[in-house]
Amino acid sequence: MSIIEVRNLKKEYPSFTLKDISFDVKEGRITGFIGRNGAGKTTTIKSMLNLVHPNSGEIDFFGLPLKDHEAEIKKQIGYSTGTVSWYPRKKIKDIVAIIREFYESWDDEAYRKYLKLFDLDENKTPKELSEGMKVKFNLLIALSHGAKILILDEPTSGLDPFSRDELLDIFTELKEHGVAVFFSTHITSDLEKCADDIVYISDGEIMAAMPKKEFMKEYSKDDESLEDTILRMERSRTNA
Amino acid sequence: MRNIMRKEMKLCASPITYWFILFGLMFFLPGYPILCGAFFTTLGIYQGFLYAREANDIEFSALLPIGKKDVVKGKYLFVCLIEGCALLLMLAVALIRMTALADSVVYLSNALMNANLFALGGALLIFGVFNVVFLGGFFKTAYNMGKPFIIYIIVSFMFIIVLEALHHFPELGVLNSFGFDNIGLQVLLLLMGLAAFVIMTLLSYRRSCRNFEKIDL
Repeated sequence: MSIIEVRNLKKEYPSFTLKDISFDVKEGRITGFIGRNGAGKTTTIKSMLNLVHPNSGEIDFFGLPLKDHEAEIKKQIGYSTGTVSWYPRKKIKDIVAIIREFYESWDDEAYRKYLKLFDLDENKTPKELSEGMKVKFNLLIALSHGAKILILDEPTSGLDPFSRDELLDIFTELKEHGVAVFFSTHITSDLEKCADDIVYISDGEIMAAMPKKEFMKEYSKDDESLEDTILRMERSRTNA
Repeated sequence: MRNIMRKEMKLCASPITYWFILFGLMFFLPGYPILCGAFFTTLGIYQGFLYAREANDIEFSALLPIGKKDVVKGKYLFVCLIEGCALLLMLAVALIRMTALADSVVYLSNALMNANLFALGGALLIFGVFNVVFLGGFFKTAYNMGKPFIIYIIVSFMFIIVLEALHHFPELGVLNSFGFDNIGLQVLLLLMGLAAFVIMTLLSYRRSCRNFEKIDL
């Protein structure tokens, strides 16, 4: 069942256009949103969070249009916009004390559990956190209010291979608990490791949106890895 | 709305925003343009906005499970709260000057504006100008605040100069009434300042809601 439906999303900038983007994010699955730098991943994600206003198109969460049910929908989603840190000089516990008031579903027990699991010190400030820990801090907030879907913009970017691996393992664990994960990346091995579905964007256009197995079946040549397939597709598009 | 106000007060505000409320005590100063106290209070608010921008507050707020209109409302309510606190301080000082210090020679011989209810109406006017020019200007981009603040400095000091000068015109000397002299007129002028503040703030708030809704963050 689709919990996010993006239909014919269009956003025009003077030097870049998102062209009729359409894809679905399915319940309880990990969807990797892949594309090279500048392909339109962040613009798409910002549109999904209503931070950017598309020229046209529809975005539905849980069958509800985002434009009419923004607050209601945002209570059920978690997000991380890369390595941006909020209130870098405030202690985590002080930030959390404010955030929790916005969510009726805030679960203190879950908060303590994930705080321990992610090895986060709530007396630290975001400024004192590494890039990986910043992503974990965002995940901590999302999971403490029982988010049903996580929307993450390049969460693995800037992480060392160990932290990346650890984070992808967390995604898999969350999936087992029924949380859907939609994350953008330009690192194909992230998809190989944990994605169930792939949404591939190139120059503002969706090239493919389907389960990873189908993608490999349809686009991969003999013995080609996912990385080789995407690189070949990207090159042929650039050369066309 | 309580959660948004708590966010504004605990995460966004710079300590300087609260400390600068004390500039309301400038209403005690003789021989000084006392409406500058209102200006300095808004300078503290401006510092808070700079601090909040560094902390990516607007983007954080837009991601919270609230409408974008509520983000704007939170900012306006917080600014009005700070302005209200400064105004209460100014009112307390004005009442002391109108009663216990009504016969003080240093105030009676003061060439500049007297701290009476008309002055409070003037302070409200300065706050209203801040809400229109600075807040309204800020929410056009939710980022740029240098230009709106410079425009605000120019406009507010024009207002301060005009308000300070008015009582020197022979027929307008009554504006500088001491104690409870011409109290009816003083109350009327205060209410006019209050009405101007409310109208300016509401109009600015509505325009900011419209502008903020259109911004790509």
